[in-house]
Amino acid sequence: MSPRATRWLLFGALVLALPLPTIGPFDGFVPTVRYAILLGAAGAVALAEGAAGPVPGILALLGANLALGLALVWALAWGLARLSRALPDGLRGGLALAAVAALLGVASLFEIYETGFGRAPRANLFGLFG
Amino acid sequence: MRRALWLLAGALALAGPALAEDAREPCAHRDPLRRPFFGDTHVHTRFSFDAWGQGTLAGPREAYRFARGEAIGLQPYDAEGRAGASIRLRRPLDYAVVTDHSDLLGETQICANPALPGHDSIVCRVMRAFPKLGYALINGHVYSSENPARYGFCGKDGELCIEAGRGPWREIQAAAEEFYDKSSACRFTTFVGYEWTGMPGGSNVHRNVVFRSAVAQDYPTTYIETPTQEGLWASLERECLDAGTGCDALAIPHNSNVSNGKMFTLPRDAAEARTRARLETLVEVTQHKGDSECRPGAEDELCDYETLLIPRMMDMATGGKTAPEDLPPRIFARETLTEGLALARGLEGVNPFQFGLIGATDTHLAAPGLVDEDEFKGHAAGTVSARFGIPAYPDRPDFNPGGLGVVWAEENSREALFDAMRRRETYGTSGPRHVVRFFGGWDYADELCGAPDFAARGYAGGVPMGGELPAREVDGPPKLLVWALRDPGDAGVPSAPLQRIQIVKGWVDAEGEGRERVYEVAGDADNGADVDLASCTPRGAGFEQLCSVWSDPGFDPAAPAYYYARVVENPSCRWNQWVCNAHGVDCQAGVVPDGLEACCDPEVPRTIQERAWTSPIWYTPERD
Repeated sequence: MSPRATRWLLFGALVLALPLPTIGPFDGFVPTVRYAILLGAAGAVALAEGAAGPVPGILALLGANLALGLALVWALAWGLARLSRALPDGLRGGLALAAVAALLGVASLFEIYETGFGRAPRANLFGLFG
Repeated sequence: MRRALWLLAGALALAGPALAEDAREPCAHRDPLRRPFFGDTHVHTRFSFDAWGQGTLAGPREAYRFARGEAIGLQPYDAEGRAGASIRLRRPLDYAVVTDHSDLLGETQICANPALPGHDSIVCRVMRAFPKLGYALINGHVYSSENPARYGFCGKDGELCIEAGRGPWREIQAAAEEFYDKSSACRFTTFVGYEWTGMPGGSNVHRNVVFRSAVAQDYPTTYIETPTQEGLWASLERECLDAGTGCDALAIPHNSNVSNGKMFTLPRDAAEARTRARLETLVEVTQHKGDSECRPGAEDELCDYETLLIPRMMDMATGGKTAPEDLPPRIFARETLTEGLALARGLEGVNPFQFGLIGATDTHLAAPGLVDEDEFKGHAAGTVSARFGIPAYPDRPDFNPGGLGVVWAEENSREALFDAMRRRETYGTSGPRHVVRFFGGWDYADELCGAPDFAARGYAGGVPMGGELPAREVDGPPKLLVWALRDPGDAGVPSAPLQRIQIVKGWVDAEGEGRERVYEVAGDADNGADVDLASCTPRGAGFEQLCSVWSDPGFDPAAPAYYYARVVENPSCRWNQWVCNAHGVDCQAGVVPDGLEACCDPEVPRTIQERAWTSPIWYTPERD
C-alpha cells in the first residue's frame, strides 16, 4: 500500500471512529463524522424553518467542531503515513489495516463514545449510527 | 323604587361580574387570623417541551400526587414505560400549581405522537434522533427569538399545533379539578395555570399565570402568538379578568436575575402601571435558577446567595459570569421595589412595582416542593441532561433546589389562597418551612412579642405583609412587628436553628434617589454557628423563634418607603456538599469519582444560610 493510500485509509477510519472532545458548551466525545451528521440535521432544520435566534451559532459551533476534527484527523493520518514511509509497502499496508481493524473493533465492541446530542449517554460505533 | 333599582344595576355594572367560585363543601377549619399554607406555584410536567425532551414522563396528575405525598416515577424509563427510580416528598404540600409552558404544548404532542400530522417533519425527526440538538434548535427558534414563529408543520397560522395543544390544556385543567380537595377537610388545593415563556434575545421575561377558579382562558396565551409582556397582560384582561365570565388570574414573573433587565420594564403611562399592578402582585424571588432578591455587593453580604451573575438566560450555555455591578438595572427584586417608589410620583401615584414575594421550584420532573438540600434531583431542563437518569452531580453548581411559596389564608381553598396572593400576604422561603408573621402599624405595644393574641393585635393594629400602612395616626415612625418560628423539620433532617431577623428598608430620599438599608432586629448575626461539613450537622447556638417590635430610626414622613423582613438560619450544608459526602468524595486524597469534579471546586460554596423573605409593607406619605 502506498503512503498516499495509507494516509487516506487512516484518515477515513479516524474520521469514522476516532472520538474527539466536543469544543463549546455541549458535552461530547464522538468521531468527526458525527459532527457532519449533526451539522446536516441542524442545517436541514434551518433550511426548512429559518435560522432565528441562536440557531446560526449552533450551526457555527457544529461547523467548527467538524472543521477542527477534520484538520486534526488529517494531520494525524498524514503524520502516521509519513512515519511509515520507510517501511516496505506490504508491511505498511498490513500495519495500517491492522490499526484500522483494531480501531473499528474497539469502537464496535465498547461504548467509547459520549454522544452528547444523542439518545443515549454512551454508545459504540453501531449505537452512534443506529 | 325605580331609582333604587337603577342605582343597584349601575353599582353591579361598575363592580363587574361576580368572580366564579368552584362548587365545594365549606372548609371545616376556617381561621380568621389565617394560617400559613406551603406550596409550589411553578411546576413542569411532560407537557412542557423541555421537560419531555429531558425524559420526564410524569404528567400533571403525577405532579399533584407527588405534592400530596405519594411517590412518583423518575427517568430513565424502560421500553415498557417503567421508571428507573422514584421520588417522594418528606412532607406533603398544601397547594401546587402545574404551570407547563403554553408555548410548544402542541408541538410536543405532535413530535411525541406518531398519529398526529407533523410527526415526521424534519424538526420532530431531529428532535427524536438528537434530543439535545433538537432542544437547542427549537429553543432558539421559539423561546429565544425576538420574532418567534410556529414551525411549518404546524400548518397555516399554527392551527395544527394549537389544536394539538388543546388536549394537554384540557388535561391540565382536568388534573387540577380532580386533585383539588373539595371536601370539608380542605387538605390540598390545586390551581389551573401555565407558563408564558418569553425570552426575547435570550433575556428571560417568563411569567406563570395562575387562575383563581376552574374558569380559565379557552387557550393559554403563548409567547409565539403574543410575544410581549404587555400583550400577555392584554390577553389576560380580555380573555379572563374583563371577559365577564367570572375569571380571575395573576401573572407571577420569575428569574428577573437572568432577564437582562427586561423583566421590569418602565411603564409608558399610568394605565400600563395600573395594569401591571393589577396582574403582577407577586414575584418569584427564588427558584432552581437562582435567587432574585438583591444585587451582591458590600452593602449587604447576604445578597451573595444563590446568585447566577449571568445577565441573560441564554448566556448559561456559554458559562460567562458578569460582575454584579455590571449587571443591568432592575434585575433584582429589591432595586425594582425601590424604583417603583420613585416611579409612582410620575404615574398618578400608581406604583408599578408594588409586588410581594413568593418562592417556588420550577421543577421539570413534575416534583413540586422537592426543596430539601439533601434531595436535590436537578432542574431537568437546563444545560445538564437528566434524560438518561439523574446525574450523580444533579445540576450545574450554581443551580439550587428552589424554594416554597407560603400563603397566609383563612383556609386551604382556591379562593382564600388566591385572594391572599392578590393582597400579597405571602412570603417565600429557600426551602424550609419557617413560619413568619410580619405586620406594620403605628402604635403596636412594645411588649407584643410573646403575647398570646399576637396575630389578632397585629391585624387589628395595622396591616400584614403585602399591605400598605394606613394613614399616620401618631407622630413618629411606623412600628413593624415580626415573628419567626424555626422549621421543626421532619425526622432525620431538621432545619438549622434561626440566626437572625433583618428588616430591609427601601425609600426615596428628598433628592428623589432610591436608597436601601438592612437593619438587624432580632437574633445574633455573630453567634459563631457553623456546620460540620463531614456530617452536615449544624453546630452552635441558634433560636427556635425570634421576635421583634421595631421602629424605623431613620423614618422620614415625607419619604415613600417599603419594609420587608428577611429571616436567616444558621449555616447548613448546601446540596452539593450532601452529594459529595454521599459519594465519598475526598478532594485531599484525590478520591473524586467521574462527574463529581465540581465537589473540589473552591468557587462552589459548600454551605448556605437558608432564609425566608416576606412581602413588603409600604408606606406612602399623605398627599397635600
